[in-house]
Amino acid sequence: MLARSSTSGIAPMTDPAPAFLALDGLSKRYADHVAVDALTLGVAQGEFISLLGPSGCGKTTTLQMIAGFTEPSGGAIRLEGRDLVAVKPARRGLGIVFQSYALFPHMTAAENVAFGLEMQRVPKAERARRVTDALALVGLSALAERYPRRMSGGQQQRVALARALVIQPRILLLDEPLSNLDAKLREEMQIELRQIQRRIGTTTILVTHDQHEAMALSDRIVVMNAGKVEQIGRPQDVYERPATPFVASFLGKTNVFEALVERGADGAAAVLGTVRCPCPPHLAGAGHVLLTVRPEKIAFADEGLACRIVSRVFQGTYWLFIGETPAGVATIVCQNDGAAQPGEGESVHLTWRADDAALRPLSGAGA
Amino acid sequence: MSRNGPLALLFHALVMLFMLAPIVIVCVVAFTPEGFLSLPTNGLSLRWFKAIAGYPEFVSAFRDSLWLAALSSVIAVGVSVPAALAVARHRFPGREAVSAFILSPLMIPHVVLGVAFLRFFTQIGVGGSMVSLVLAHVVIVLPFAFRLTLSTATGLDRSLEQAAVSLGASGATLFRRVTLPLILPGVVSGLVLAFINSFDEVTMTVFIAAPGATTLPVRMFLYIQDNIDPLVTSVSAVVIALTVVVMALIEKLFGLERLLAGEGGGRS
Repeated sequence: MLARSSTSGIAPMTDPAPAFLALDGLSKRYADHVAVDALTLGVAQGEFISLLGPSGCGKTTTLQMIAGFTEPSGGAIRLEGRDLVAVKPARRGLGIVFQSYALFPHMTAAENVAFGLEMQRVPKAERARRVTDALALVGLSALAERYPRRMSGGQQQRVALARALVIQPRILLLDEPLSNLDAKLREEMQIELRQIQRRIGTTTILVTHDQHEAMALSDRIVVMNAGKVEQIGRPQDVYERPATPFVASFLGKTNVFEALVERGADGAAAVLGTVRCPCPPHLAGAGHVLLTVRPEKIAFADEGLACRIVSRVFQGTYWLFIGETPAGVATIVCQNDGAAQPGEGESVHLTWRADDAALRPLSGAGA
Repeated sequence: MSRNGPLALLFHALVMLFMLAPIVIVCVVAFTPEGFLSLPTNGLSLRWFKAIAGYPEFVSAFRDSLWLAALSSVIAVGVSVPAALAVARHRFPGREAVSAFILSPLMIPHVVLGVAFLRFFTQIGVGGSMVSLVLAHVVIVLPFAFRLTLSTATGLDRSLEQAAVSLGASGATLFRRVTLPLILPGVVSGLVLAFINSFDEVTMTVFIAAPGATTLPVRMFLYIQDNIDPLVTSVSAVVIALTVVVMALIEKLFGLERLLAGEGGGRS
């Protein structure tokens, strides 16, 4: 599993040793299915890691096992080298922000934030000071005495974050924390969450199904599918160099063309129109390969892959084109730089840099 | 809120009238100067209220009823809370059976329970005591306490307790600071319903109460078997008045809606 992600041609992430939080072959099996299948992951101190995948991929189960609400069926969780599974959930010292925020409805914002400090028997004066600081950190000083039901979703979210951070957790666990917010607020909270995490430096694990959220916030992304890790890497690496077809299709749109392999003077190459992409040796013998290229990496040119524009959609900051090519349907994204763009029904040619395309065998998975 | 048509309003008014009329009539009759139940009455008199003082067994029966209702409803809630939490949260073998067993007194006629308890308590040698009354009443009010507690426990968001655990709460602290406040509306309404049902119970209690120490409803029932004077109406009027005062006090001090509907109800 991991071997695949580390041989995917990415400059390997220097794995900080020893890891602050280590998941070692972590598994959760139920009677009828495997929720998490031998997950191995090292998280460095201060790192922001996202577990990204569709629902049912095992990301939430993984978080629940770290938090202690779900018992692992196998494997180990170690925090600073010590076994975490043996520690009771109430003694793990982790801060958690839930998708539903899970604020205590019978307590004010300040009382919610103070709860964890009370449990730690922090003296009253220090408690008050730390609650004030935590609420100030999330910009909610004015609403300290307000009950959660009288707050907006975004405000409740901030209280939940303050409540998790005030206990100075060893790890901050975020379970789809932004998915109940509207798009604009979500974007603001992403930026704020990132800034707060940078400032405090708390090691953070985010569970999300939102690729934009994962890419915007994380130092590294763990892409999961059906209980297994598909790829671990920096957001740009995972996006630009997806290790598996699943990662390519899950993170952003991508074009998949069937290309003919030709042998020329410069070696084997996948050919589409006049665009030639050098073929790695293990694909050189194949008659056809699949070529994937991101929509924003395609440019219009005088020669290349012939394409007829079927539809053109204006999206404000960019144009979105759907075109028909001999190799299949193409999606093209062009920055709105003010230049004239081809119209619907027009015939154009598409081109891209060989570096921006990935090749894989026609049948079967794997990179 | 949609407005009701005139027919619907008339219907609602009639239902309200039907519900309130007996109570109003009892209260009016209580003020009669006559020696029998009469309506309309000729003038008003406190004669039958003063008469209560001459029957100390009514006062002691009232006190016993309060104690019985308080004890049995509190014990019933004490049993219901852990049972409801277990049934709401866990899937264990016999879960349905536990639930059905606790609710079963609702299905059994109180006459049957009365005869059964009479025989059983005599057999084990606690017949006619306050202990036997409390035990029997716990059984019949348990379904009310359990059902209402279960309804809030089932709706409890597990992540709230998980959040509390992650912040370091566990065991009794978790229950006292988070779980109990969250299920409190169900617990309080269960307690109130259990109390009322115990206070109200005649059919079963008639069988198991000792002649010397019995509950107010049974005392009244026994009294009207032999007498036709309006004493029972004045006793009823006192009970109604006390109920109104207690409800008003609870509303003033805690807010009825807050207790029964829960703090998360969104009103303030």
